[in-house]
Amino acid sequence: MLLKVENLQAEIDDKQILKGLNLEVKPGEVHAIMGPNGAGKSTLANVLSGRDDYEVTAGSVTFDGEDLLELDADDRARKGVFLAFQYPVEIPGVSNKLFMQTALNAVREERGLPALDMFDFDEFAKAKIELLDMRADLLERSVNVGFSGGEKKRNDIFQMALLEPKLCILDETDSGLDIDALRVVANGVNALRSEDRSFIVVTHYQRLLDYIKPDHVHVLYDGKIVKSGGFELVHELEEHGYDDIIQQHNKD
Amino acid sequence: MQRKISPVAKQAVEHYIAQSTLLNERCDNSSLIASRQQAQTLLAKQAFPTQRDEDWQYTRLTGFIQNQFEQKPATPLTSEQVRQYMPSFPVTMVVFIDGWFSEMLSDDLENLPRGVVFESFKDALNISGDSNKLFAKESDITKEPFGVLNSLLLADGFYLQLAANAHMDLPLFVLHIQTSDNHLSNVRNFVELGENAELAIVERYVSLETRAKATSCTNVVTQIDMAKHARCKQVVMQEQSDNGFYFNNQFIYQEDSSSYSSFYGSLGCQLSRHQNHIFMNGEHIESQQNSACLGKDKQVVDSRTDTQHNDVWGNSQQLHKYVLTDSAVGVFNGMIRVDQKAQKTDGQMDNKNLLLSEIAKMDTKPQLEIYADDVKCSHGSASGQIDENQIFYLQARGIRRADAIKMITHAFLLEPAELITNDQIRHWVTDRLTVALAGIQQ
Repeated sequence: MLLKVENLQAEIDDKQILKGLNLEVKPGEVHAIMGPNGAGKSTLANVLSGRDDYEVTAGSVTFDGEDLLELDADDRARKGVFLAFQYPVEIPGVSNKLFMQTALNAVREERGLPALDMFDFDEFAKAKIELLDMRADLLERSVNVGFSGGEKKRNDIFQMALLEPKLCILDETDSGLDIDALRVVANGVNALRSEDRSFIVVTHYQRLLDYIKPDHVHVLYDGKIVKSGGFELVHELEEHGYDDIIQQHNKD
Repeated sequence: MQRKISPVAKQAVEHYIAQSTLLNERCDNSSLIASRQQAQTLLAKQAFPTQRDEDWQYTRLTGFIQNQFEQKPATPLTSEQVRQYMPSFPVTMVVFIDGWFSEMLSDDLENLPRGVVFESFKDALNISGDSNKLFAKESDITKEPFGVLNSLLLADGFYLQLAANAHMDLPLFVLHIQTSDNHLSNVRNFVELGENAELAIVERYVSLETRAKATSCTNVVTQIDMAKHARCKQVVMQEQSDNGFYFNNQFIYQEDSSSYSSFYGSLGCQLSRHQNHIFMNGEHIESQQNSACLGKDKQVVDSRTDTQHNDVWGNSQQLHKYVLTDSAVGVFNGMIRVDQKAQKTDGQMDNKNLLLSEIAKMDTKPQLEIYADDVKCSHGSASGQIDENQIFYLQARGIRRADAIKMITHAFLLEPAELITNDQIRHWVTDRLTVALAGIQQ
């Protein structure tokens, strides 16, 4: 088991968002988390990646045999947790090159690998830039500054490709993307799929999932997973919306 | 109305006037004597500003007034001692020790390229037949209290003249070294750029390493006259002892199509105040003024610009950034004034400040005064702490929180230096800023 979430409860500003969430992810699996606005999807992504704003009040998260909740965000990243942001952040003056070379060498240090120098890094990065159809001057530019919404999301996927994490959490990466950008992001994700890399794809829509075809689909509502199934659940939701599931859940 | 002057301030005024009188007794240049006398009258009348003066509200002179600085002779230094302050790239070197020009430690300044004349201000007074021209702008200079002090004690500095179309092969690097406690370096520079002349000048203000804790004062006035199409690129790095005082007033007079660009880096001194006064007196003039100021401990870091658009099609651009930690105080005051005649002016001024501690403080006042109706002007100011979202974004990629803060702060402070087009000078400047930042982030 790569990730085991048990009875996870979390709050922000004294408001409880996650109310006892359970989730198990095996290596190589792709899980989709769907649900209506306000269900707690982004909270789950942020709690797993270690954002301080959220307070975990109960439950546990085990990642690769370790207590994930004990670790700071940077240690989680070093151990192989990657969050693709709903809103990737602009950092003026910090080049993508400095940012990613520093990040990659931090992750490599954790894995007991030697640091990459400028030349080795450039070579390594170039292949990934082509894979994700990024602009050629990406590395020289400031992180996300002057990027369109689609470029920012692609830049996150590019970072994911560089850092080669074990668990990739995509927090509504598809929001605000046109169909071409969506395809590039999906292709990037598909290219990175492997036996020992897992994904949690948080999304409101089925569009991205049509390209990615997750192994497991979960419906998150009111801080809990209320229904799980296979890829067919995506199309069930597309036809009937969340109402049936929500009504069923509220009845129980 | 009679100004209220404290007994300590009165003593300081008397102290500096007495020094000025002494200088005049030993002087035979009538223009210089007259200029000093005029300054004596002004200082006796107005004394030093206090917090009741709006322009000095956030920049208290109490510490300066308590120290009655003396204009002492220069300490002899060897070229070995000076070498450590030189950059590694080729320059034409000018050295001032304690405010006095050192011919011995400077490069050969007699055989400069055609059309370039360098003299110490002292010599310039004696040889130039028309020493009145050196005092033509006294009325502007003495509007500033430290301009008054500068005229009062005027004794040395440099005179640099570039004839039409002249330029120097290498950047002029002017090194000012403070060596002794309680000393006042009083420097007056005059730069005259002929039509289409081009100058790259770097000024560096340091305290001798062995006197790293010295309390001394540097007071500079630089006048730059720029004829049509002249270009001047200036860098000023202020890295003096953390106990020191630094005042610099620059007066730039620009004619048609001239272009002036200046970068100011402020790192040292307990109190520093750097002021640009730019007079854009012609058409199609460009000016750029950027600064990067770092404040720590109880430092007060003051930087000001006064940009006067007096004719059509002027373009002025400014970016001023402060990083403040501990209980440092940053002060920025910028004025863009657009004359009625100055249509089609484009004036942009931006001030951004990063506060790294809870008690660091920034006082900022960007101002626009516009009397023309067809202009594009803007000013902005923002002060705040590092955005937690930025820190988290870097952390989420495996970068330690402390390193993330360093990376963001570093990028923030270095941005104004991007205007320096000469790669060697820019790298030298960013190295200075990087070292200083590392010092506050240990």
